[in-house]
Amino acid sequence: MNIRPEILTVLLAAGAVSFFCRAAGFFLMRYVPITPRLEAALRATPLAVMVGICAPVMARGNPAELAALGVVVIATKLTGNDVVGALAGVAAVAGLRAFFG
Amino acid sequence: MTSGACQHPLVDIRAAWLRAPRQPSKTEQSPQRGKRTIEAPKTAPVLFTWSGMKRGFLRAQPLTLGGFVYGAAFGLLAREAGLSLAEATGMSVFIFSGTAQVATVSALAAGAQNAALAIAVAVLLLNARYVLYGAALRPWLGGLPAYQTYPTLFFVVDGIWVLSLQAHAVGERDGGFVLGAGVANILPWVLGTGVGLEVGNLIANPAVLGLDFMLVAFSAGMGLRMFKLRPSWSVVAAAAATAMAVDRFAPGGWTIVAAGLVGGLVAYLRFKPAATP
Repeated sequence: MNIRPEILTVLLAAGAVSFFCRAAGFFLMRYVPITPRLEAALRATPLAVMVGICAPVMARGNPAELAALGVVVIATKLTGNDVVGALAGVAAVAGLRAFFG
Repeated sequence: MTSGACQHPLVDIRAAWLRAPRQPSKTEQSPQRGKRTIEAPKTAPVLFTWSGMKRGFLRAQPLTLGGFVYGAAFGLLAREAGLSLAEATGMSVFIFSGTAQVATVSALAAGAQNAALAIAVAVLLLNARYVLYGAALRPWLGGLPAYQTYPTLFFVVDGIWVLSLQAHAVGERDGGFVLGAGVANILPWVLGTGVGLEVGNLIANPAVLGLDFMLVAFSAGMGLRMFKLRPSWSVVAAAAATAMAVDRFAPGGWTIVAAGLVGGLVAYLRFKPAATP
């Protein structure tokens, strides 16, 4: 139940580095004037990151996951709600894996 | 009555957002104010309220089941590595990053008791994408005081960042949204860690429940809506090509970093002042 000192050292070091990563980008941008052009770039990053999360899954071509991505697209289009679409995709991948191992 | 405008800002702001050329974000330099030019909120009505936190907290709920089950998987790993309940949950509170915690526990289990430096470097590399996430939050949260923004940044993880920036794209301006969503996510993560450590194997494999697919599914759904708001095939194509290329030799967080940077760079290079949506 106690925290051993050597674990505490590691825990605090890793925790500090984690927070550093979370704060560094935000902090540094304080000194960069956000021009409309730079803001357009920052605005594009979420979409690019979302594509970056999905593209490797598509490239790997696991049938259950590809089909589930299709379910996400269709459910999001039909309901107009991305959360419903995402949950439908999660349910689809779980179901398809149960069927096809 | 006075807070009526806060009830459903998405509905009101979204329509205006789609037409108006983003007035608040055009942070002109005001020469009189010197170094405050970047920090000053200008005309942007950036808020930090309880109602914003509540919205974020509720919107993040679909992500919490995944947080709990993955927390439990980490708890199980920590148990096998011989960590105590306080040590494992302490990691989930202070490191709050799945990959980084797994790396830390693996290093400890391998007997690297004095490897704090090596572990810190590993965590730095594993969490490098958060630097990008923080930078992208600057236009939104930059006008808020540091005592609100830095505690908020502590809670940022992939799913919460995706959720928050999608909300921002459809008009959310309340910084409390990010904090509320982050808090909603850390609670099941820490709770799950404790349960996994105490209960062990009773927790199902996350992949059986499809929970490993949660972030991908959310990104796909939210990416679709973001694309509809601001379609950019060049950004999508560049990010997809980059992610697939990087995934071949450095899977995981680096595909995200590379795709985000290249996508941002493409938007930067193709920016036309007159063509802002």
